[in-house]
Amino acid sequence: MDCEFVPSVCSYCGTGCGVLFEVIDGRINRTLPLKSHPVNQGKLCIKGWNLHEYINSYMRLKGPLVRENGRLEKATWDEAVNQAARRFTRIKEEHGPDSIGVLVSAKITNEENYLAQKFTRAVIGTNNVDHCARL
Amino acid sequence: MTNSIAEFEHDSKAIFVIGSNTTACHPLIASRIIQAKENGAKLIVADPRNIQLARLADLSVNHRLGSDVALLNGMMHVIIQNQWHHPDYIADRCEDFDAFKAVIDMYTPDRVSDITGVAPKDIIRMAELYSQNAPAALLYAMGITQHTTGVDNVKSCCNLAMLCGNVGVKGGGINPLRGQNNVQGACDMGGLPNVFTGYQPVSDPGANKKFSDAWGVELSSTPGLTITDMIEAIDQKKIKAMYIIGENPKLSDPDWNHLNHALKKLEFLLVQDIFLSETAQSADVIFASAALGERDGTFTNTERRCMRARKAQDPVGNTLPDWQIISRLSSAMGYAMDYDSAETIFDEITGLTEKSYGGMTYERLGINGLQWPCPNPDHPGTPYLHKETFARGKGKFHAIEYKDPAELACGEYPFLLTTGRMFAHFHTGTMTRVSRHLDVEQKTGYVEIHPDDAMTIKIKSNDPVLLTSRRGQMEVSARITTDVMPGNLFLPIHFGENPTNILTSSNAFDPLAKIPEFKVGAVRIERLIQ
Amino acid sequence: MDMVKAAKELLLQDKVDIFLGYRKLDGHQIPHGFTKAHVDDLDQLEISLNRYPLEKIACDLAQKDPALKIGILARDCSQRALNLLYTWDQLNPENIETLTVNCCPSPLSTHGDCSYLTPKPTGDYKKAHGVDYNDSPKDFLANHDSGERLSRWMYEFQKCIKCYGCRNVCPVCFCKECSLEHPNLVEPGVLPAEVPIFHLIRATHMAGRCIDCGLCEDACPAHIPLRMLYREVNDAVSDIFGYVPGDHIEKSPFSIIGKTVELTPAPMDV
Repeated sequence: MDCEFVPSVCSYCGTGCGVLFEVIDGRINRTLPLKSHPVNQGKLCIKGWNLHEYINSYMRLKGPLVRENGRLEKATWDEAVNQAARRFTRIKEEHGPDSIGVLVSAKITNEENYLAQKFTRAVIGTNNVDHCARL
Repeated sequence: MTNSIAEFEHDSKAIFVIGSNTTACHPLIASRIIQAKENGAKLIVADPRNIQLARLADLSVNHRLGSDVALLNGMMHVIIQNQWHHPDYIADRCEDFDAFKAVIDMYTPDRVSDITGVAPKDIIRMAELYSQNAPAALLYAMGITQHTTGVDNVKSCCNLAMLCGNVGVKGGGINPLRGQNNVQGACDMGGLPNVFTGYQPVSDPGANKKFSDAWGVELSSTPGLTITDMIEAIDQKKIKAMYIIGENPKLSDPDWNHLNHALKKLEFLLVQDIFLSETAQSADVIFASAALGERDGTFTNTERRCMRARKAQDPVGNTLPDWQIISRLSSAMGYAMDYDSAETIFDEITGLTEKSYGGMTYERLGINGLQWPCPNPDHPGTPYLHKETFARGKGKFHAIEYKDPAELACGEYPFLLTTGRMFAHFHTGTMTRVSRHLDVEQKTGYVEIHPDDAMTIKIKSNDPVLLTSRRGQMEVSARITTDVMPGNLFLPIHFGENPTNILTSSNAFDPLAKIPEFKVGAVRIERLIQ
Repeated sequence: MDMVKAAKELLLQDKVDIFLGYRKLDGHQIPHGFTKAHVDDLDQLEISLNRYPLEKIACDLAQKDPALKIGILARDCSQRALNLLYTWDQLNPENIETLTVNCCPSPLSTHGDCSYLTPKPTGDYKKAHGVDYNDSPKDFLANHDSGERLSRWMYEFQKCIKCYGCRNVCPVCFCKECSLEHPNLVEPGVLPAEVPIFHLIRATHMAGRCIDCGLCEDACPAHIPLRMLYREVNDAVSDIFGYVPGDHIEKSPFSIIGKTVELTPAPMDV
């Protein structure tokens, strides 16, 4: 049996508390506060202590879905990605890049936000990119 | 935040919290405030609700919903009258003081008391506590920003801090508490319609050329639409397709009916999420993402600290990290993105965001992270901003008059509704309602009502009530508590079965920031006969 | 270092399947499960200044595999926690090997972050209105009348932000269903956690249980002197029953779980 502790940052509010994920045989089993962290000094709130519960929730989406005849059906990544690429490309060609909007997220990483706005600006060709900071 | 979380505990002599239910929404920042208070710092709390932190405060006031500008102007009036302000600091570092003072002169404690409902003696005491215990930190959250006067409110907070020389000092500052773990990062990374990373304007020819060259594409220099304008554009069929990543606007955006109606007009909706959120249910294609702990990457917290979140387990099922999904979509559309790790992307970011992230590497971030600006590899990061001068040169005083919120209580809608979070849940509840230990605390929505009002409309605790605004109606059960003032109601935003934003308005938003007025709306409350 | 050698031996001689200790990562001491497959990792074994509930982690592992043999780097408080967990059948002593680090209260140079070794400073406001971290229950009782004691504890409890950290970090809290989450006992969904019942329920459950490691107090974002609170109830248990939790592997006076007991009605002695 393997048991290791992986440092991470809580993904709820903007405080940015340091956590340790207790990983047993490759699965996150528990969340502990990182005691020597400069932000939270080994303390957490109720959401932080239960951080692993949403990650391991059975409600998680398990793979890509594509709407067919009004219903969302399981698809492969190639099918889902190609369909999205095709639809975006066609709308862009017919109505111009500003007919597409992108909402990036205050929940995804810096790297992912960067790529999302790069995608919007360089690939779609519009500056219609925003996120829910206002909400 | 201009300053750092640890400073509240170690350096601030006074802490002024306005429009933030800190113990519920930013508990580990509240932890520092409690510690500071126990060590002798003064605590001032201004909030329309009786929040937990108010019980610990040296002085707490419940000002009327939306009267923040008047309250702050009143405090500044008292400070100037008593010469508690810092003339040297103002002369050296600020500008436009006289025009500002002319407006402040009109906000006598008596007049402010009429607008805010706060007693003149309390306004005077607040002013004294804040100005006579330096350095003083000012903290706020959505209670300040989610108003039609959101920008005015923020500017008034800045005026107060500058008036007392509290900006650019350790333990002072203006400290907006970010509501989501990476709001700061999403903004820093250019997730805004008018700027690239590090707030480099798309319309600036130099910045535009720099990014055009780096990405090998001619980029548009016309700022795009904000989320509020995008929804309007969807409604007018100007926007035909949306790509929504990790957001649930169906629940979080104002005026649910309006948005729901608009989303139906889209030709194509792509949603990328970890859950089948209300928004994802309307999608044509859904990309399933890996969650926290299933991929590497960095987040930037409210004190500008960029920190690594590491991969601890493999992504569940057939999900992929968001950066891999975006790369695949981009490549499928003919623009090849082939990053082999999050770290390679981070290195590309730091290369293009020299002034703030330039000195950061994964190795340097370690566990503690680094606070931007961190412009070069030897820079230790910046705990507090504006040390010698303001980023813009002189700190500008804004002369701001109080304006009423968009809706006031009236005969037909005699109550004022405010919205927010409760301690056990988060935002639209997608991440918290699936968590057993959080669900135990609160399983469904409720509306908080004062006992006097409950008596008037003849309801007991947990009775169902009907809330009606100019936009719509919803049914919810009542929670009777003195946490809200008479005439006010509070509704948490987490529960899809009681969607707060059926009631809130999408027409009332700040003209500049386009932030909706979630914190004040007029409603009627009626007992539902059982 | 002898500790490294001893831990390596435990793994190499198959006396344990996993050894719970600490390692350093980016300047932070964090817990780690060392295994035979990566036995040389033990060269980085640290006796951490930061204490984590290694015994609770051992329970997590034992729950997944009851036959797993676990080695633990054990401070005195860990040893007490283990004894208590043996008493309550949460761990099997035959499956646990300890390498002891004694520090409570000892002159050992690598102390843990225990408040007995480096007392927590109590701020002036807290001293005046709340409960001093470093007060002893007996002095607190002697120096304040009941009204004063109540108001001081009420001050402490009203700060609670209901994180459940005191319970979550506690090495001897293992119940599957927790009274603190029972809606008939504690009102759910409100802040502060219902005053004072939330903390009084936890305090009574700590009587005869608490091994006085102080991890709860370290984890408390509201700075409530929990160690002192639980010492108060534990003192009562040791005064009346002569039982000190974790001292020996013996049944606690409260261990009636799984047994049928008959209670005869009797007037309350008030």
